[in-house]
Amino acid sequence: MNLTNHTKWIVVSTLLLILFAILSLLWGQYPIDFHTFISYLDYKFFGSTNGDIATFALLDNIIMEIRLPRVILAILIGSSLATSGAVFQAMFVNPLVSPGILGVLAGASFGAALGMLISEQWFVVQILAFLFGFIAVGFAVIVATMVTNSRSTVMLVLGGVISGSLFTSLLSVIKYVADPYSTLPAIVYWLMGSLSSTELSNVLLLSVPMLISVALMIVMSKYFDILSLGDEEAKALGINVKLIRIVAILLATLASSLSVVMAGIIGWIGLIIPHIIRMAIGPSHRVLIPLSAILGAIFLLLADSVSRLALSVEIPIGILTSLIGIPIFVIVLKNARAAWN
Amino acid sequence: MELEPIVSVKGLNFSYPKRDVLKDVDFELHKGEVVSLLGANGCGKSTLIRLILGLIKGKGEIKIAGRDLHTYSQKEMASHIAYIPQYHNVPFNYSVLDMVVMGRVFKLGLFASPSKNDFDIARTALKTIGIASLANRAFGELSGGQKQMVLLARALTQEAKTFIMDEPVSGLDYGNQMRLLELINELSSMGYTFLKTTHYPDHAILVSSRVVVMDEGHIIASGTSSEVITDAMMQDIYNIDAKIITYDDKQLCIPILKGQR
Repeated sequence: MNLTNHTKWIVVSTLLLILFAILSLLWGQYPIDFHTFISYLDYKFFGSTNGDIATFALLDNIIMEIRLPRVILAILIGSSLATSGAVFQAMFVNPLVSPGILGVLAGASFGAALGMLISEQWFVVQILAFLFGFIAVGFAVIVATMVTNSRSTVMLVLGGVISGSLFTSLLSVIKYVADPYSTLPAIVYWLMGSLSSTELSNVLLLSVPMLISVALMIVMSKYFDILSLGDEEAKALGINVKLIRIVAILLATLASSLSVVMAGIIGWIGLIIPHIIRMAIGPSHRVLIPLSAILGAIFLLLADSVSRLALSVEIPIGILTSLIGIPIFVIVLKNARAAWN
Repeated sequence: MELEPIVSVKGLNFSYPKRDVLKDVDFELHKGEVVSLLGANGCGKSTLIRLILGLIKGKGEIKIAGRDLHTYSQKEMASHIAYIPQYHNVPFNYSVLDMVVMGRVFKLGLFASPSKNDFDIARTALKTIGIASLANRAFGELSGGQKQMVLLARALTQEAKTFIMDEPVSGLDYGNQMRLLELINELSSMGYTFLKTTHYPDHAILVSSRVVVMDEGHIIASGTSSEVITDAMMQDIYNIDAKIITYDDKQLCIPILKGQR
């Protein structure tokens, strides 16, 4: 596949992303029609009062306070998870790897639960989720290097399994000791994932490290093609394998633990999005990584719209992505063998 | 004054915890040579190659173009020496062109992607190898011989002048084996230097300016194929009876199986 073809896919999917982002601002319990939206934008940015001021105030409230932070958050988290998934798959040379492979999601879940147990402050929860995401990955790496000094990725995966199980058990301990009438339900709901508890300022603040890590993973995509050939061949092709692997693990861990910090556990995106792209377009990481970032965002935007609109109560987004993701994954797996075998 | 050898190895040792693999190996590779490393399984020829490429670390001196190997970055190594591994399966089914352009990546800056120029170089390499028509095929669907050719094309895009190949013909059918040897000959006449391991004395005879024989971690002989590949040598390294004959000015190795002599 040539360069211009890559660019074409990226342009088309970016336009789709913008379209769905605008639609997500309009869709909801209080639907906004496109015409009203345009006159609202006119009012908002050019001060034109071509309409009812009271309606504009209401729209301003709905869009700026409720829908825009959600849309931005869905885009950030969707692209972070899909990109991290694609990066981990390249690094472990295995298309069945998800962003949680090194224990980051289990660690961050434990951290958040611990935060809810010991503090009422939301930022304590967020900081602990972030910290323990990294601690879990660090633990996986230490276990892997302790057991063997060979730099085999199999050992790293085993380290991740051990770390993930450890923090899942510790999470159970927290659930067991948590107050069953207040803290326990809070933990359980939080683990189901949600894009609702968001303020624009908070989202914008955390968007900086997330965007940077996604952007850097896209920059590194040409190295992931080579990394997936195995360490020795990659080295002989002039690549600093160790450095790239460390940086990639750090970036993918940063992006996925920040996604847990902001929205709890939202599964399956990191697994299915790269699969769909590999099947439809091809496995080259130079297109897979940027497209994962864009399609991951679109997927979560759509899933969030469904979660808000399908029933009169909001369906937790993590449950929904699993329910949508699993059948897609089965279909993809059935057709995917040609793309990675 | 003699030119600096491309690869110079002195007193090289390598061992696994329980087994010595290389013992006090001296070796040189000069510009324009096609050197075949011959020896039985486990004699240390692959290990020697991996040490020269800097993929593993041993004890002793290895110089590349007169400079200590350890002072080279991975990037500098790749611009001096291209490694052509045995063909293998790739977990992600890249297109042939994507596979070949990977030889260009180490030359790119951090923020650059392979450009049109890089893809042109990749296409030219495919043309040189004679497989331009495969450019848009999926690597995983190619035959073993075609895969090996693709890896050779990738090496060309690195623009290194020395090629190191590990058992380049293993797994290929007879025709593809010969085509690959022809290609090595052709590239050698274009100025490329080759170091390759082989299991086949016949192949060493067909395409080598020098044959180096290894046995149990030592280099036991080095010279032209007619000097080195003898009845006694085949007995020594493979423990088989073989007759080396000359037919029509060509050297041939004829193995004699037990019960057939």
